[in-house]
Amino acid sequence: MAPRVQSRSVSNLLPYITSSSSSTSSSIPSLCSSSQSSRYFSATPAPQTKLRRQMFEWLSTQGSGLKHHTPGETNYLRMADGSQSNRPFPNNMTFISEPVLSEELRNEVYFRVKEQKKSPRAVSVELGIDMNRIAAVVRLVELERRQRDKVNFDSSPFFSSFEFSHSPPPRTQNDETPKNRLHCHTLVLCTKWSPPPPLAQAGERQTYHEPINDLPVHPATGAQIFYPVPESRPFTRVDAGRVFSGAPTLEKKVSDKITHPSDLVEDVIQKPGSIEWVGKGDNARQVLQPADVRIPHPQLVQLARDRAAFPEERRTVTQRHTERLERQEKAEKERAAHAAERRNRNTETIEPQDSRFSFRIKDAVVSEETVGKNGRAPWAPGRRYGVPTNDRTRGTVKIPTRVNV
Amino acid sequence: MVLRIRLARFGNKHQPFYNIVVAQARSARGSKPLEVIGTYNPLPAARTDASDAVSAPRAYKDITLDKVRAKYWLGVGAQASDPVWKLLNLARLVEEKPKTYNKA
Repeated sequence: MAPRVQSRSVSNLLPYITSSSSSTSSSIPSLCSSSQSSRYFSATPAPQTKLRRQMFEWLSTQGSGLKHHTPGETNYLRMADGSQSNRPFPNNMTFISEPVLSEELRNEVYFRVKEQKKSPRAVSVELGIDMNRIAAVVRLVELERRQRDKVNFDSSPFFSSFEFSHSPPPRTQNDETPKNRLHCHTLVLCTKWSPPPPLAQAGERQTYHEPINDLPVHPATGAQIFYPVPESRPFTRVDAGRVFSGAPTLEKKVSDKITHPSDLVEDVIQKPGSIEWVGKGDNARQVLQPADVRIPHPQLVQLARDRAAFPEERRTVTQRHTERLERQEKAEKERAAHAAERRNRNTETIEPQDSRFSFRIKDAVVSEETVGKNGRAPWAPGRRYGVPTNDRTRGTVKIPTRVNV
Repeated sequence: MVLRIRLARFGNKHQPFYNIVVAQARSARGSKPLEVIGTYNPLPAARTDASDAVSAPRAYKDITLDKVRAKYWLGVGAQASDPVWKLLNLARLVEEKPKTYNKA
């Protein structure tokens, strides 16, 4: 058995970044010296490919600038003209690094929603942040504050090792102390927020964080349909939605009343149940609404239309917009309260003293609607007898497709 | 023959789920009952709607029960099995059964 080399090379943690080329010896001297000393018995030069040599050349010239990053800026490869880009991978032009919310903007969102009691919809429009993100921010800031109350951040070595802010977020806007708060994450782009809200004051708009009114793609619109329409007949987005969902054409009386697709918004928001259904049984579906209704902020379309129609009456237009928003919010709140009430009416929660669990007793009523005419309807309470569960048959989707919370 | 209000097990291995059924006492567990009056899910579900004030919200178990039918069957002499008796007690339809260690 050949003698084992009990050398110090074991202590070299990165043996694969060793190089014998002279160009790199200056940039990484410690590695090179250790590599030479680790090859005591070899007379041949270390194998070096061209690419490998080029890599070390690049690391010592252009790449050396990327070794340390400037806080608050991205540390991505620069463009050919030396400008900073938001593309971390220059060969993949479709990959764009999106900015994240800065600490201040995040706290501002929370402040407006929780303390000023504004609706997420209004805050989304004011700050140009997607409504889902608004909801997520509020939840996470809430969670963060709860954790802060529990954990002593100053004494915890885990949290003090973070680069970003470890001072508690301001309780209100007034007691903000910028001196003890660093800017957010140092390696990615941030949408910054400067405390005096520029919205109302200077008349300039807050920098939008992201597009907020993106139309979600509805699966029904994926079909390619050839639908001939006579030129003499008006064919709007409302009609297109009906074609996509296979609904019969609207009667002329009804369609004449709709001057613009966004006229439907108010009705749908006030009474979402008023959307027509087509198809039977499992195939039943609601008629696809025009894009003006399905976008997250349909009121913005109406605002733009009002502005175009009455360019002189800015105050009236703004007032109409505010009223519309209030009506929407009121309807949404009422609907949520109604749903919660209906849920609680039939459910009783019991918390026995000697139990670790609580019990939710839901009233099931046996009637023709609840169990069907023969008492065996699939929606009747309880699992059904004589109905095979296909949870183990081949070819069926067994992974859960939805989460019930 | 005696009528029983009892549990009939459904669900898979390690995922029990019970129908609360009214059946003849000597019939098999999986046979068709006279009537299904509710369900019981013994697997506790974590609460997602708990407010911040509650530090450790209790997990909950779901029971559905047709109280009117349960009362009727109890009234005509159906006997609830022990597990069902506990559930009916939670729904305040029957008194708690005396426990053996309370007798003495």
